[in-house]
Amino acid sequence: MPEPLVLIIDDEESMRDACTQILLKSRYRTETADNGASGLQKIRDLRPDAVIVDLKMPGTSGFEVLENLKLIDPQIMTIVITGYATVDSAVEAMKKGAYDFLPKPFTPEELRVILARALERRRLALEADALRREKKLLEENVITMVSHQLRSPLVTIQQYFEVILSGIAGPVGEKPKEMIGRARDRLDGLLNLINDWLDMARIDAQRLIGTFEFLDLRKLLEKLLEFMGPLARESGTSLEWAGVPGSAAEVQGDAETLEQVFTNLLSNAIKYNKPGGRVRLILKEDRECVIVEIQDTGIGISQEHLPFIFDQFFQISRSESGKMKGSGLGLAIAKKIVEAHNGRIEVASSLGMGSTFTVRLPKIQPAGASA
Amino acid sequence: MTKTRQKILMIDDDPDFCEALTAILKSAAYEVITASNAAEGKKKILSEKPDLVLLDIMMDSLFDGYSLCHAVKTSKEFESVKNTPIIFVSAVKEIAGSRFGFKGEEQGMAGPDDYIDKPVKPAELLARIDKLLRT
Repeated sequence: MPEPLVLIIDDEESMRDACTQILLKSRYRTETADNGASGLQKIRDLRPDAVIVDLKMPGTSGFEVLENLKLIDPQIMTIVITGYATVDSAVEAMKKGAYDFLPKPFTPEELRVILARALERRRLALEADALRREKKLLEENVITMVSHQLRSPLVTIQQYFEVILSGIAGPVGEKPKEMIGRARDRLDGLLNLINDWLDMARIDAQRLIGTFEFLDLRKLLEKLLEFMGPLARESGTSLEWAGVPGSAAEVQGDAETLEQVFTNLLSNAIKYNKPGGRVRLILKEDRECVIVEIQDTGIGISQEHLPFIFDQFFQISRSESGKMKGSGLGLAIAKKIVEAHNGRIEVASSLGMGSTFTVRLPKIQPAGASA
Repeated sequence: MTKTRQKILMIDDDPDFCEALTAILKSAAYEVITASNAAEGKKKILSEKPDLVLLDIMMDSLFDGYSLCHAVKTSKEFESVKNTPIIFVSAVKEIAGSRFGFKGEEQGMAGPDDYIDKPVKPAELLARIDKLLRT
């Protein structure tokens, strides 16, 4: 690592020279500027480790340097030199972010001690920053790594089952075929559980906001309907699109996770429907929100279960739903995603009649609108 | 007329998965060679000149399936084999949200000719391979 770079900003040549001499003896690299404006320019260009600045200079004052420095890089340490050693100006400088102050006249030793302390402080701050970044990166990678390592062996087992069931490896009797088929289905369930679990861990509101973009929900939903077509046909459910023409559909959001929300709601609506049932997908708006409704004519949810439907791991028992168990996380994930978008998800349902899930996402306010 | 058997290169870091897939491919009389990482796969694409490549996306290295596919399709080094069809074979959920297409293309990466989910259905795999090899 190169020696620390210290920038000295002072309008007095004798002061610049003195500081430079002192610091060179301690093997710092130095740069000088004779006014505040050129000092700031050098801070931008050279990114020094520390700045020694005189508070009282004609033109751009030391205070102004301090204020701007904070915007350029708050990690640069500043020591102010005050000619008029009033406590007031020193306190004000510290408030503006200076690390310490040095009243004139000072000894070489005083300057060296203060500077060494400032640089040590900077080193620690930078180290802590690097650690924080590394930890965050590790957290993100752990999820991907765990995901891969948990899934890989299971997928390979499934692959063997597929090969055996297809008869490629030799003839398989009816009974073993049925059993392996069931084993494969259970493994499917386990894989889904792992996926959902990891999604739950991965969805981080702060990180999601970073991927927000302008989204046309109408387009997204129409694409989804197309994608869901085969599943609906397979289960004999009719899928209806009821987007209100001209309704606002633009939101700020993350396409991938919103897609996940609506895929989940639509596939639930199809899966838990009656034979020959109907699913309606509605797009409309009110004053503040773009509203998406998914109505089904399915088995519905009883009043006693309704309050818990978005809770993690809440499941309606298999005998009541008549379906294979999911992970119990699908709706909890949907809720987490919608809320990360500052939206709301709600459900209304009556047992035996069907359910309506409503997702509200804040509209993008037209530019210049005062509301 | 004798027809030489068509050669398929499978690149995947899981040897058991390779074995299971090899069984499927051999049942359709393909010749199968395998590579256990992208670097080895890269060598074999050049030396073996396979008729088709099955490529896993997530391998335990920075040089993954995406990078290899991109290299084959665009780099000078692979000029002689750049038309080799590539099928991504991957557990789709790992490439989160990829159901609607290959996201790497948006980042300027050259995409594969087709992709198929793990675990693969034998009939589906063979149909997709057949389609690419006939055209």
